[in-house]
Amino acid sequence: MKHLKAINSKAHKVNEALKNDDLDEVMAMQSPVGCTATTDPGWEVDMFGSVSGLCQPMEADLYGCSDPCWWPAQVPDMMNTYPDWSKNADSATKDWRNLESVYPEEKE
Amino acid sequence: MNSNFYHTLLLSGVALLLSGCQSLSTKEQSIISTAKGSEKEFLITVTRPNTTLHVIDLQKNEVIRQCDLPAGPGPGTLVMSPDNSIVYILTDHFSEIYGVNIDNCDVVFSTQQSTDNIRVKSIASIAISPDGKEIYTHQNRVKMMSDHYQMLPPQIAVFDTSAGLKVKTSRTFDAPRQIATMDTLESGELVMGGQDIFLMDMHSGKYKVILPSLNDVQPGYSAKDVLTVWQMGKVNNEFYRMYSRAKYNGKEGDLSNAEYIWGHEVVNLKTGEAQAKDFGPLKGVLFTSIRRPGQLNRVYGTLNDLNEYDSITKKLIRSVDLPHTYYCINFSHDGSKIYLSGALDSVAVYDPDTLKKLAHIKLTGDGSMSTSIIFKRKG
Repeated sequence: MKHLKAINSKAHKVNEALKNDDLDEVMAMQSPVGCTATTDPGWEVDMFGSVSGLCQPMEADLYGCSDPCWWPAQVPDMMNTYPDWSKNADSATKDWRNLESVYPEEKE
Repeated sequence: MNSNFYHTLLLSGVALLLSGCQSLSTKEQSIISTAKGSEKEFLITVTRPNTTLHVIDLQKNEVIRQCDLPAGPGPGTLVMSPDNSIVYILTDHFSEIYGVNIDNCDVVFSTQQSTDNIRVKSIASIAISPDGKEIYTHQNRVKMMSDHYQMLPPQIAVFDTSAGLKVKTSRTFDAPRQIATMDTLESGELVMGGQDIFLMDMHSGKYKVILPSLNDVQPGYSAKDVLTVWQMGKVNNEFYRMYSRAKYNGKEGDLSNAEYIWGHEVVNLKTGEAQAKDFGPLKGVLFTSIRRPGQLNRVYGTLNDLNEYDSITKKLIRSVDLPHTYYCINFSHDGSKIYLSGALDSVAVYDPDTLKKLAHIKLTGDGSMSTSIIFKRKG
């Protein structure tokens, strides 16, 4: 964590967990909420730091990433949180204009 | 596309409005069983909208039937009944299995995996017993409380395929975490692909490691990395998955001088014999690979390229660019044709000798991470 600075509440909680040696608890949350916390390359750059290994066109990989909640920071999690995100876009290459941004629901 | 295709589409739309599931005319129902006395080869895969099943005649390279299921997409992992009449699909956001009669699109089976406040997800882990009487899934379970979630131990769930719709588990067994692909030996044991490859006795629930993977520690090599949500070895009667790993050419752990290698882990579904073997250099990303029926030392892999490897010399033999990404590779039973699917909306047919494209079968929607299954039927 030397080069990363927490800027949102979730990241602050990860820092707290590190201090208290509770990181396993944070890791375990990846499963129940259905999402990965990974920031691995893959959406922006491939495993070699290039772009030739990325899916072509990017729409070919869009639902392969949203269906299994693969990169939830980049595309909505269709497995649990936004199951109807692609409802009006059966074909990502043709219907992408119907795909909208998603926002967390307001906390009461 | 021929008239049957449009006829099927029309019927599909009408029937979907009525029931969410398509029924076809007697004429349409006979399409698969017209070749009396001779075996024909078919491919089934799944695309959006929701979960749409496509039955493709591989002699004509035409979609001959579409079945629309009352279920959301993902992942679209398929297994076939032993008599090749019912296809079982893990779908609806990784939640439920649907069994569909491919002769008339009737939904004859479905599961109810989540119960009360326990949410169940299965990550491409579906298998069928050799006699077709039971379906198995690996369940990732979470108890959803009002103010917190509680992770429950994962388990293998067993479902009775004759029990109809919204079937609950008939028995469960404790299981390892992170199981993503499964299949059954001819003798009935369940093969589970996770951190290692496990074998479970489906009477006692006892399981053991039959092939270490993450725990296969070898001097001079990194740990293996496995991306495994596609079990594509069925045409060779084997459980199959790829791994990648680094071979250190300098100091142990020195990735700057390492070479990267593809390999595969194979379980023979007839004998249970399991083995792992490197098959070629890792020059680019692949999502699935498969051994060529009849020439098992020839390995073909896909993502943005279609690659051919010789697993004896461990060399890349040929490679061609693909018009777009295909996640999923499959073979005809005689090893004469390659079928690429998943990601976007087509099945592409390639010649394994030349890697030249032979045909393009247009589908609807998007295949995302669905598998394909190839089978033969007599009339």
